[in-house]
Amino acid sequence: MTQRGRNLLLLAPAGAWFLVMLVIPLAVVIIFSFGERGPAGGYVPAFTLEQYANLPARWAAFKNTLMLAPAGTLASLLIAYPLAYYLAVRADPRWKTVLLVLVIVPFWTSILIRSYAWIFLLGGRGIPALLDLIGIDNVRLINTPFAVLIGIVYGYLPLMVFPIFVNLDRLDKRLLEASADLGASPWRTFLQVTLPMSLPGIATGCLLVFILLMGEFLIPAILGGGKVFFVGNALVDLFLQSRNWAFGSAVAATLVLLMLVSVTAYMRLIRRLGAQREDVALM
Amino acid sequence: MSEAAYAPPSAEPAAHPIAEFRGVSKRFGEVLAADDLNLSIRTGEFLSFLGPSGCGKTTALRMLAGFESPTSGEVFLDGEVVNDLAPYRRPVNMVFQHYALFPHLTVAQNIGYGLRQRRPKPPRDEIARKVRAALEIVRLEGFENRRIWEMSGGQQQRVALARAIVNEPKLLLLDEPMAALDRKLRKEMQIELQNIQRRLGITFILVTHDQEEALSMSDRICIMRDGRIVQTGTPRELYDQPRNRYVAGFVGTSNFFDGVVERADAYRARVTLGCGIALEGRVLAPVAAGQAVSVSVRPEQIRLARTATGGETGWEVTILNRIFLGEHTEYLVKHDGLGEFMVLTPRQAELSDGPFNAGERLTASWEATSALVLDNDQAPQAN
Amino acid sequence: MTKDKDYISKRAFMEELDRYRRGSVTRRHFLGVTGLGTATAVLAASVPALRPRRSWAQGNIGDRVVLATWPNYHDPANFEAFTAATGAAVDMNVFGSNEEMLAKLQAGGSGWDVFVPTNYTITTYVGESLIEPLDLARIPNYDAAAFDPRFAGPGTVDGTVYAVPKNWGTTGFAVNTANLGGLPKPTTWKEFWDITRDAFSGRTMVHDYQLTTIGNALKYFGYSFNSVDTAELAEAEKLLLDAKPHLFAINSDYQPSMRSGDAWMTICWTGDGKQMNRDMPEIEYVLGKEGGELWSDFYAIPKGAPHLDAAYALIDFLLDPAVNAKESLFHGYPTPDKRVDALMPAEVLNDPILYPAAELLDALEFGAAVTLTDPNRAELMARFKSA
Ligand SMILES: Nc1ncnc2c1ncn2[C@@H]1O[C@H](COP(=O)(O)OP(=O)(O)OP(=O)(O)O)[C@@H](O)[C@H]1O
Ligand SMILES: [Mg+2]
Repeated sequence: MTQRGRNLLLLAPAGAWFLVMLVIPLAVVIIFSFGERGPAGGYVPAFTLEQYANLPARWAAFKNTLMLAPAGTLASLLIAYPLAYYLAVRADPRWKTVLLVLVIVPFWTSILIRSYAWIFLLGGRGIPALLDLIGIDNVRLINTPFAVLIGIVYGYLPLMVFPIFVNLDRLDKRLLEASADLGASPWRTFLQVTLPMSLPGIATGCLLVFILLMGEFLIPAILGGGKVFFVGNALVDLFLQSRNWAFGSAVAATLVLLMLVSVTAYMRLIRRLGAQREDVALM
Repeated sequence: MSEAAYAPPSAEPAAHPIAEFRGVSKRFGEVLAADDLNLSIRTGEFLSFLGPSGCGKTTALRMLAGFESPTSGEVFLDGEVVNDLAPYRRPVNMVFQHYALFPHLTVAQNIGYGLRQRRPKPPRDEIARKVRAALEIVRLEGFENRRIWEMSGGQQQRVALARAIVNEPKLLLLDEPMAALDRKLRKEMQIELQNIQRRLGITFILVTHDQEEALSMSDRICIMRDGRIVQTGTPRELYDQPRNRYVAGFVGTSNFFDGVVERADAYRARVTLGCGIALEGRVLAPVAAGQAVSVSVRPEQIRLARTATGGETGWEVTILNRIFLGEHTEYLVKHDGLGEFMVLTPRQAELSDGPFNAGERLTASWEATSALVLDNDQAPQAN
Repeated sequence: MTKDKDYISKRAFMEELDRYRRGSVTRRHFLGVTGLGTATAVLAASVPALRPRRSWAQGNIGDRVVLATWPNYHDPANFEAFTAATGAAVDMNVFGSNEEMLAKLQAGGSGWDVFVPTNYTITTYVGESLIEPLDLARIPNYDAAAFDPRFAGPGTVDGTVYAVPKNWGTTGFAVNTANLGGLPKPTTWKEFWDITRDAFSGRTMVHDYQLTTIGNALKYFGYSFNSVDTAELAEAEKLLLDAKPHLFAINSDYQPSMRSGDAWMTICWTGDGKQMNRDMPEIEYVLGKEGGELWSDFYAIPKGAPHLDAAYALIDFLLDPAVNAKESLFHGYPTPDKRVDALMPAEVLNDPILYPAAELLDALEFGAAVTLTDPNRAELMARFKSA
C-alpha cells in the first residue's frame, strides 16, 4: 500500500465519525433552519429566512452565553492555574498522584448530582446563612448568574487543571534554575519562563472549557433557577417543548457560527501571543 | 562587544581566592555527595573537577551556583559566606550540562536574558550591543533571531556559553559543556573555550570526566572520588607526582605492579611483587615496610631493545601486540613474572632499533627514578 | 402535565445519590427544566440474573414492556409483581412534560409500548396518528361504568377509545403561610401575582411549563386558562415579564426550595401540595378562586408499539382495582375509578386537597388541545424564560 493509502486508512475511522456525527447533522440543521414549523410542531420544508429574522427573540440567551462563557473560562483559569502549578511544581512527588486523583474524583459523579449539591450550598440555608452569622445578611446566591458562574467553575475546573498541569509537569525544571542563575527572582522566573512556557496548556484548557460552555445548558438550568438562560437552554426548549425545529435549527446554526468565529479569533490571538513572546520575555 | 567591556583579569595576586570550600559536605539522604571539601579557587584560573560519574562534581558546582546549600561547612564567594544566598543573587553564571536554553525565546533573547534581569535594567540598545558582542565571541553572528530548536548541538552549546559570559560573571561554572558534542567539535570548542577564558579573564570552573579535556585546558585539576577531593594540582604535578595509584590511573596511563614494601626510606623503596620479583622505586609520599603499594611505570618511560643495555635491570619480554600511532608506537609486552604491560616508543627510537614485530623477544628496561611507589589503597584520601 | 412527588432534602441527599447510582432516580427538576427526559429507569431488566422465569400460564407476552411515564408515578412493587406474573420486565422512561413526550413520538422510533398522556394532548396524538385505538376486549379490568366520565371522557375521540384513565388532579398554588407576616392568605390568582411582586418578591416559583404558568397568568385578568387570543396573551406576557425579576425561579421542581424555606409560594400540583402540607402544615394548598387547571392522565399505546401484547397486559394489570389502589396510595393522586375509591381509606377520600369541594372544582378548566401546539404560547413562554 502506498504511503498515501495508508494515511487514508488511518484517517478513515475518524473521517467516518466526523461525517456521520458532525457533517451530516450540521447539514440537516442548516437545511432545517430555512424551513418552517409544522402546525403541531416539527418541521415543514420551505425556503425562508424567517427563522433567522426571528433570532432577536433569543437575544437574551445569546447575550448570557456570550458573557458567561468567557467569564466562566476566565474564572476557571484563575482558579485552576495556581492549583495546577501547585500540583506540578510544588507538591511532594509522592503525593502528586493522590492529589491528582482528588482533582478527578468529582468527575466520577455526574455533573447533575454535583450541581445539585450547590443548590443547597448556595440556597438560603447554605452559604447565605453563614454570611448571615458574620453580619452580612440578605445575600441571594442561588438562581443568580453568580451561582451559574460558581457551578461552571466547579464543573469545569478539572478540564482546565489538566492541560495546564501536564504542561507545567513537563516543564524542564532546569530552565527555572537557568533563569535563577541568570539573576531572575522567583517571581520574575515565573513571569518570564513558567508562564510563557505554560501558554499551550492555558490555551488548550481555555479552549476546552470555552467550547463546552458555549453549549452549556445543565448548570444554568439547575443553578440559574430557569432565570439564567443560555442558548443551550433555548435549544432544549425549542426542540423539546415548543418543538419548533426550524427556529431551533436557526438558533443552533447561529451558535455553531458564533463558536467558529470566536474559536478562530481565539486561535489567532494565541498565535499572535506566541509570536510576540518577546513582549512576554521583555516584561 | 569590545574586549574592554569585560573586566580584565584581576591585577591582584593570583593567590586571591574568588571562591572557597571550607570543610564542605553535602548529604542527599544516604548519599554523601560531597565529603569535607577544602579547596580555594584563584581569581582568573581555569580549574577542572575531574572524576568518574557520580563522584560529586556537579554537586560541588551547584553549591557554588547556589542550587544546593551545604549540609555542613562553608562556601565562600569573593570572601563572603554564601551558604544560603539565593542563586539569582550570586555573581556567578553557569553553563548547564544540557544547556537549559529557553525554547520560547530566540537566540538573542536567550543571551540577553541575564542582562534584562538587572536593576536598573540596561537600555535596549545596550543589551542589543552586548548580545551582539557575545555572539561574536562565540562566533554565531547573524543567528540572533533563530529559535533554539533551529540550532545544532554545537551551536546551542555556544549560545549557552554566550548567555553566561555576556553577564561578565566573576565565576563561570561549566558542567560538562561539551559532553554532547562529537569528538572533533569538542576539540574545537575546547580550544575556543580556552581562548575565551584567556581573553575575558573570567575564572572558569569546568566539570568533566574526560581526563584529556581536563589536562589540555586547565590551569589546575581537582581529582575527585566518592565525594572527596583526592588531589589538586597542575596537570604536570598530577602526572609526575600522583598522590596514589588512583590519581596516576586517572591522569594519563601507567603500568602498575602490585606488591608489598620490603624496605623503604624517605626517597626509595624496595617492593616485592606477588611473583617474588623485587622492584625498586621512588617514594613521593612516605611508605612503610609491609604496606600494600603499586609500582607505577609510565609506558613512555620504558625502553625496548633487541640487546640488553648495561646499567639498568632488563626484563626479558615477548611482544604480544603492536599499535602504530604515528609519532609513537604502542607495544603490549609480556614478562613471565611481571605479566603484561604497555610500552610507548617514540618513532625516533625506532629508527635505530625498530620496528619490533609481534612475537619478537626483547629486553625492556626503565630507570629506577621512573618507577614510583604509590599507595595502593583503593579508598579515597583526604586532601 | 407534569407531576412531582420527589424532592431532595439535605438529609435525603445521600439516599438520593444512592438511588441515582442504582439508576432509579429521575430528577423531576432535571427533566422538566432541561427537557432531557431521556433518563431511563430500568427496573427488573437491569439485572438479568434476577429476572424471574417467565410465567407460561399467562401466555407468552415477551420478556419486556417499555413504559413512558412521569416521575414517581408508580409503585415499584406493582411492577415487580407484574414481572413475576408475566415474565415481562418493565423498562421505564421518565418524562418532564407532555411537550417532551410529543417531541419524542414525533421524532419516531421511541420504542415505547405504553405511555401516559394528559387529557388535552390526546386529540393531537390522534391527529398526528401517533396513538393506537384501544381494543377494550384486551383490557377486561377497564369498566367504563366505574369511571367518572368527567375524567374518562378525553380518552375517547370521535367515538373511538384511545386512552383509559389513570389519575386526576388539580393545579393551584402552595403558600407558606408562616411568611405572610400578617397578610391575609391569598386565595386568588390575582393575589398570587400581586403578592409575588410585592411582599413575596424573590420568593415565588412558577412552573417551567407553558400551560400552567401562562394559564394562571391569564387567570389574573379573568381570561380562560386556555386562551390563545393574541391580545389576551399579550397581557399575560406583560404580567409575566413584570413578575420575572421578582421570581425566585422558573422551575417545576419546587418542593426542595419550598421545604428549605428559600421559596415561599409556588404554582403547585395536587400531589406536591398534599406532600408538603403533610410534612409542613404551614404550607397550604390553594385553588385560585378564578379557576385554573383540572387534569387527568391516561394510559395509551403509541402507534408501532413493539410489544403490543405486553402493553395490553400491563395496562390491564395496572387497572386492576387492587393494584390501582396500591398505586394511588403510593403516589397520592386520586383515581377516577369508583372501585378503587371503595378500597381507599376514608381520610384520603375526605382530604380537601385531593378531593376539592365541588364549587371549587367547577371553576377549573381542562387544558385545551390547542395550547399544546399553539406557537404563540410556546414563543411567549420562551420569551418569558429568556427575558
Ligand atoms: N538531588 C539529589 N538527590 C539525591 N541524590 C543526589 C542528588 N543530586 C546528586 N545526588 C547524588 O549525589 C552523588 C553525586 O552526584 P553528582 O551529580 O554531583 O555527580 P557527578 O559527579 O556530577 O556525576 P556525572 O559525571 O554523572 O554528572 C550521586 O550519587 C548522586 O546520585
Ligand atoms: Mg554531573
